Amino acid sequence: MLLRLPILLSLAFGLLLLLAPLALDDWRLSQLAQLLTYGIFALSLSFIWGQVGILCFGQAIFFGTGAYVMALVTLGKLPWLGESQILGLLLATLAAGGVAFILGLFLFGGRGITGAHLAVVTLCAAVVIEIATGRWGFVGGYNGLRGVPPLTTPWPRDDIYLSGLETYFLIFAVLAAVYFLLLWLTRTPFGTLLAAIRSNEERTRFLGFDVTMAKLFAFFLSGMVAGLAGGLFAAQFGFVSPQLIGFALSTEVLIWVAVGGRGVLLAAVAGALLVRWGEDQLSDQIGQYWLLATGLLFIVIVVIAPRGLFGRILDLSPHRKS
Amino acid sequence: MTVSSALLEVEDITKRFGGIVALDGLNLTLKPGELRCILGPNGCGKTTLFNVLTGAFKPTSGRVRFRGEVISGKGPVAISRRGISRKFQVPGIFPDLTAQQNIALPMAAASRKPTVRTLVRRAPDPARLAELLDFAGLSDKADMLASDLAHGEKQRLEVAMLLAVDADLLLLDEPTAGMSKGETASIAALIRKLTSDFGKTVLVIEHDMQFVRALDCPITVMARGAVIAGGTYDEVRSNPQVIECYLGRAA
Repeated sequence: MLLRLPILLSLAFGLLLLLAPLALDDWRLSQLAQLLTYGIFALSLSFIWGQVGILCFGQAIFFGTGAYVMALVTLGKLPWLGESQILGLLLATLAAGGVAFILGLFLFGGRGITGAHLAVVTLCAAVVIEIATGRWGFVGGYNGLRGVPPLTTPWPRDDIYLSGLETYFLIFAVLAAVYFLLLWLTRTPFGTLLAAIRSNEERTRFLGFDVTMAKLFAFFLSGMVAGLAGGLFAAQFGFVSPQLIGFALSTEVLIWVAVGGRGVLLAAVAGALLVRWGEDQLSDQIGQYWLLATGLLFIVIVVIAPRGLFGRILDLSPHRKS
Repeated sequence: MTVSSALLEVEDITKRFGGIVALDGLNLTLKPGELRCILGPNGCGKTTLFNVLTGAFKPTSGRVRFRGEVISGKGPVAISRRGISRKFQVPGIFPDLTAQQNIALPMAAASRKPTVRTLVRRAPDPARLAELLDFAGLSDKADMLASDLAHGEKQRLEVAMLLAVDADLLLLDEPTAGMSKGETASIAALIRKLTSDFGKTVLVIEHDMQFVRALDCPITVMARGAVIAGGTYDEVRSNPQVIECYLGRAA
């Protein structure tokens, strides 16, 4: 049964991540946990780009917003809110969703813009927001914010900080939850509507659907997921800076998702893990050439394998060829 | 006000584009459940008529009534919500969706004012979905991507999509464009079913005489933006005005 192979491979991928702690020391495990956070970030872009067809060149705006909000809350910079991590993550998610919603109003409202125009506008937005963040003293300017507290348990115990293993499984659980939520959504009639918009927006409108509203909702959701990833990242990394909100990271996540396979959610996660892991492994040895290598890899994949490295083998959708 | 028994009444419609008169005082009436074919050479105003009926163009003068209500001047969305649906010459299917999804989508649209919430919660009625797939002859290809279907299958899929919208009046613009002879015959049978089995009112634009003959329905012949003749296939074929229009003036 060839059709079942992607399901087996997807399960194997999940199992591999679940068993990874057995083979990795604490430091490597924390690195992998960070990669999983990037995986959640990649899911957000894969959803909006691969499912709805909106090529967003500013996805880091939402990731960075989440990271900054998490840092501000847990560092006590917003004293009236308290310093709760759970509240921090919640606000990170909502704030990023809010930013996406407002940006989406400008992108999709009125006659709306699509394709390359939308990519350019979101790219510009990322650059502007990165520069603005770097000049805003309250959020630490170019230096960013240091000392963001690591993840803790919400209930009291001797050592409230999560161990490396606990952090890993927490991030894994969040990744799995987001993945299944988005996967489920793509399987509902709403998911079909999003796919139809990707396929032919004008025709979908003629059928009587409110395409603008559907895109806005999807963008909002994608922003929330990216913000959640950003919030988790801030706590894991302990440091936020304008690079997290800007153009470079936006391009990077685009490369991960394209390399993995934008049309399939899990493939995007695998792409994020592979490219980031490769970067960690190889940047020591080949230094700056790594960037060149990533760029070349990106071009080669876009040209010869538009579905990405894993887009075919992890494709769970029910359709079949004749 | 008298209640008319007609579903669609086109009253003295004129459409000018600058100096060009595309429709010149055209009149047409369709009864509910009627299948009618509009025949005419290229450039006679057939497609302009459809554009006026669906609200893509506003007529320069004249009125269109649908179920007695004046709809000329309303926008495409308002008109489609009232129950008029159109099939374009180019297949309007979604190539990246499966055959089944292609039918499920207009079914969801037919539920009037679909929202994110209703779309997430309500799956399309499986019985109706199966019925429409069967109608299109695509039951065993439900999970195939529409882009992988043969040309004739795509056309049948689109006719099923029209049916799924649950419109009362279906406008078909050259449904057989680009089809082989065998495909043409099967699509004619399918269109006849739209009226006989589903009670739809269907208006077909066509210039392929073979197909018009296979449809076996009343014909309205257009030329230069106006109706010049009407009747059955045989009547129309022997009408001197029609012959002149198709073959040019006899010297």
